[in-house]
This record gives sequence, C-alpha cells and structure tokens, in this order.
Amino acid sequence: MLRRAQPTTAEGPRYGVFGSLAFHALVFAAALLTFNRNLATPQDTHVVPVDLVTIADQTNVQAMAPKPQAEAQPEKMDIPVPEREAPPEPDMTEAAPSPDAQLPDYKIAKETPKDQPKTKKEQSQDFAALLNKLTAPEKPVKNARQGPRVIRQQGLGNAMTADLVSALQSQIYRCWNVQGLIGSPDPDDLVVDFSLTLNPDGTVGRAQLLTLNGNGYTRAAAETASRAIYSCQPYHLPANRYQEWREVNPLHFDPRQMMQ
Amino acid sequence: MKKFLAAFAFLAAICAGSPAFAALSVDVTQGTAQPLPIAIPDFLGDPNAGPNIAGAVRADLERSGLFRPLDQRGFAEHITNINTVPNFQSWRAITAQGLVSGQVTQQPDGRLRVDFRLWDVFGESQMLGQTFATTPENWRRVAHMVSDAIYERVTGEKGYFDTRIVFISESGPATKRVKRLAIMDEDGANPNFLTNGSYMVLTPRFNPTAQMIAYMSYISAKPRVYLFDLETGRQELLGNFPNMTFSPRFSPDGNRVALTLENGGNSDIYVMDLRTRAIQRLTTDPAIDTAPSFSPDGRQIVFESDRGGAQQIYVMNADGSNQRRISFGPGRNGTPVWSPRGDKIAFTKQSGGTFAVGVMNVDGSGERVLTNGYEDEGPTWAPNGRVLMFNRTLSGGRGSQIWSVDVTGRNERRVPTPGSASDPAWSPLIQ
Repeated sequence: MLRRAQPTTAEGPRYGVFGSLAFHALVFAAALLTFNRNLATPQDTHVVPVDLVTIADQTNVQAMAPKPQAEAQPEKMDIPVPEREAPPEPDMTEAAPSPDAQLPDYKIAKETPKDQPKTKKEQSQDFAALLNKLTAPEKPVKNARQGPRVIRQQGLGNAMTADLVSALQSQIYRCWNVQGLIGSPDPDDLVVDFSLTLNPDGTVGRAQLLTLNGNGYTRAAAETASRAIYSCQPYHLPANRYQEWREVNPLHFDPRQMMQ
Repeated sequence: MKKFLAAFAFLAAICAGSPAFAALSVDVTQGTAQPLPIAIPDFLGDPNAGPNIAGAVRADLERSGLFRPLDQRGFAEHITNINTVPNFQSWRAITAQGLVSGQVTQQPDGRLRVDFRLWDVFGESQMLGQTFATTPENWRRVAHMVSDAIYERVTGEKGYFDTRIVFISESGPATKRVKRLAIMDEDGANPNFLTNGSYMVLTPRFNPTAQMIAYMSYISAKPRVYLFDLETGRQELLGNFPNMTFSPRFSPDGNRVALTLENGGNSDIYVMDLRTRAIQRLTTDPAIDTAPSFSPDGRQIVFESDRGGAQQIYVMNADGSNQRRISFGPGRNGTPVWSPRGDKIAFTKQSGGTFAVGVMNVDGSGERVLTNGYEDEGPTWAPNGRVLMFNRTLSGGRGSQIWSVDVTGRNERRVPTPGSASDPAWSPLIQ
C-alpha cells in the first residue's frame, strides 16, 4: 500500500532559509549574551559592601564648607618623665591605654542578585564552574580568605577589551605607590581587590573594597590602592566604548613582585 | 510552527533580558615606590613647642624613608583650627596625600597638651586623632609618639621613633682612646654619658623595659658582664665567675641573661636567671660558642660557633637542645641577632677581607647582604624588625660611626653621634 508522499526538503517548510537564519542568529545571540553575562557575574554573590574611604559624590565637587564639629574625640595618654643621669623622683602616672586604631568593619551582607534569567541557570553554572577550574590561582594563598570568586573574562571578551585593560593599567600604575608596604612580614597580606564604577568622564563614581581581611597590613595595602584609584582620575578611555569600561571588577592589586 | 514561534519568542526574551555590558577585569602588579608626600604644618598654639614638635615629626617620618614631608612654604591653606575639616582640594593641589594638623596648649598645671589629626587627603576623611599630655621638656618624646602613631596607621607596622640607642662613644687620640658608655634618642638627640671612660666598656645591650643595660667591661682588667640601672645609675657585677664573661643579652621577658663564659680557652654559652642567680650551661663542645641572642618568644637562641672550623651561625632551643647550623653561605658568619618580629636573623658576614651586615630567614635561607661599607658589623634591630643599626668602621683609622639601614637594604643613613661611636644597641619602644 502506498503512503501519501510527504513534501520533499527541496520545497522546504514555509518560513524558508531566512527564518532558519534568523532562528540560528537568535540562538547564537541568546547564548552569547547569557554566557557572557554569567562570566562577569561573581560566583559568590556574597559581595562585601565595605566602603573603606568616604566617597565624595561626583556631582558635588563645589567648595566644601568646613564642618564645625570634630568627629573623633581623641583620648588622653599620659607620659611618664624619662630617666635622666641624676633624676629627681620621677612622676610616674598611669598611662591610659591608647585607643585602638579603628579597623574597617568587615561585615558580610547578602546582596540580592541582580535580574538574572531563571532558566538555563544550571547550564551556565556548570560552564562557570568549569571556567573556575581553568583559571584557578597557581599558588595557594596562605590565609585562606573568603574573597568573592570572580572569574576572569576569557574567550570572546578578551581580544575586544585587552586595549582597555592595558590603558587602565598604564594610567593607574604611576599613582600606585607601594613604598609603605615594602618590608611587611607576609607579602600575601598585601593583595587586595576593588570593584570600580567609572563615570563617563573617567572620574571615579564608586570604589569598593572587596577583600575580607582584618589584618593591619591588608588595610595599609587597601588604602594604598584606594589612593592610587583616586589620585589618577580622570581615566582617559574611549567615550564611545563607555559600556565596556564602566565597571571594573575586579580591580586587582598585587604588589608581591615589587616586594623583592 | 507554533512550537517554533514559542521557541523564537522565548529566546528573544532571553536576549532582551540580558544587559549589554560586562565588567572589565584589571590586574595591577606594577607601581612605583616613592616616599609618601605628606604635609605637616607647624602645630598651632605654643610658639616654641608647636614648631619643635612638628619639626621632629617631619624629621622622623623623612628619616624612615617612607614619607616625604612637603615644604611649608608651598601650603595654600593655613590651618587655624584642628577641629575643622581641611580644604582637601588645596592639599591635593600641592600633591599631598596625607595631612597632619596639630596643636599644643598649655594646661593650668604647667603640662603641655598635644592634639593631632592625620587626614587622608584623597579619601577626604580623618585617619587618626590622638591626644598626649606631658611636661614641657618632654616634647621630643611626644613628637616621637606622634610619629609612631602616624607610621603605624599608614604602614600597619608599629613604629620605632620613641626609642633610645645605647652605644660606646669614643674620643681622644688613636693612641689613647677614651671609651664611654653613652645613650641617646634614636634620632641622635639628647646624648648622655653613663660612664666616665676610666675603664673600657663594650657591647652594651638593653633589657626589654629599657631600664637596664648589660655590657662587658674591663674594670678589673678581666672582661666581666655588668648590669647598669639607668634609673639609679648603679652598676652591679653579673655573677661572680673566676674567668671572663662577655656578650650578654637579655631574654625577651627580661628575667634571664644569656652570656658567654670562658673556661681554660674554651668559650660556652650559659644562661643566668636574674631572680635566682642560678646559672645553666647550654653548650659543651670545645669550640668557641658565643654571641647568643634569644628569639622573641624566648624559646630559641641563635649563636655563633666555630665548631665546624670557622665561625658560623647556629640555632638551639633555650635549654640547649637541638643545636643545628643554619648558615651555609660563603665566608664567616657571626654576631647573629634575632629580629623582634621573629622572621629574620641579622648577622655580620666576613668574606674577602670585608665585613658586611646581612639578614637571613630563621632557617638560614634567603641570605642577603644589606650594606656595602668595608667594615660594617654588629647589627641591632629596631623593635619593629624593619630597620637595623650597625657599626661602620672608617678606613684609615678615622674611627667609627653608627649607621642605619632598612631590612630591605634601602635607606642607608648615618646616625649623628658626638664624635666617633660604636657598638650600637637599640632599645624597645619606651614604655
């Protein structure tokens, strides 16, 4: 018994080659955009929103009226008279303990993730996990600190943004003065990460310390990096590519090579 | 067809939902190493103490090699009140990254009150604010405490400016040198003589409270270790040993002194408990074992021994067990001193006819020479383990000087002394 003949591929479905092309393009675009964004999203959404320094709002750069009140109330510290060759009875008063230098409050706050598509999440996470393994650091850091695991951009992003990366590096390097860090006992304490948001004119919109560590040397390193970020602004980057350099995350400062 | 349209719409939705940018990732691994420009105008208030204290702070910070105090004549803003926020823009304009404002006020009881604030010029915030009260003649100590506070806030490391140096001051012609025990502030100010030079004095060292000095003296024509109490001026003989004793060093808790006893040509290391005067022998081999120095936790001692044929550096537990060699570099290595930070040992290296000061890790690795005179020896550590002082003998019989250098080998500088000076020892931070 003969079957009714189906339409052959030569005739094709009704929507034709263009439809097929459009469909392919759409799949490609969707994959590119979805994966691309996941590459940039921190794996660990527990970002530390620590403001190490007071960030002046960029739109408010006019003359600042001096505030009348001082902020800190300094504490008293009495000093005993030092010994001399033939000292009179020294007046030894109790030295009150000097105030501890305030370390920044390294609190962890949970930030709700930004709008993410709910679908295809597992797939992108597997992909990201794979990328994680590929970009694992060579040398394990001594104090295993809980920094956010940011995955560096690989693959498609690189060639297009490499010139922006090196432009930023060359502009910030001359302001990053590590003199005060040389001689620290453990160079691994000195590695710090920031997230940076730049305004279209290249000035700093927001600089945020990402590194979790209460160590005094790390704070010195963070302040050194912060000074670098602020003193080298405005950054001169192509205005027509603002969306590509608007966010820098991470801005990673590693002075270990300079500690020799 | 319907399925296709659904898939099409779904993918379009994904594209629309994705933002169009991703964050840049930038590694900064190269920078500069320059002293930090800092503005320290004269402190307000007292017309003498104000400029004096600010001047000493500027000198301290500049001498550390980590700061560059800017010239006051270039300051645009004149601070008139330390309780108002400065005009940071004007300080940025002269490239200052830090700003110190301070004032000195006289109290009714005659004491001086010193307030200061350290400002972050780019972050536009106060980094530090402290107050001190003291007698007027103590202004130098206050200045050093201000410098220490600023240094610590910026580097994360404790400072070393509020310290003293004990040393041997030499005067007189080469044929009739007079050597006196002397003490001065770490910057060379306030030199004072502690002995009158009628007897030879060598290798003075502070105890951990900086109230006592142990040293070696030839008072009775035989070298003995003495303790000198800085407060009372009293000297006492440490132990009544029949033979020579030398190279004394206090333990970190101040309760023990390690020293070398000579016996029939053989020198060994002993530890004496200052409270009980009990003495314990730590080394027993027939070589010359000397120059002991405690680790900061008091559990180990580094020392010099020629049991291997020439002077080398050894480490042992504080009870004398587990003696092992750690120096294997070229030449002879001696006068080891354990860093107060615990991570390094400074020493004198003799090779090819010259003497140089070096540092190594406590296991002997990472050995490097820091100085480049022709006869540099006898290092002593600042209490923060970042700076060393040492003895530099000048060629041609021109006497000797005290010099300082960073643990990285940078910033080699002379320490001003009244004439020829040798054998420096650095005190801990003054309590």
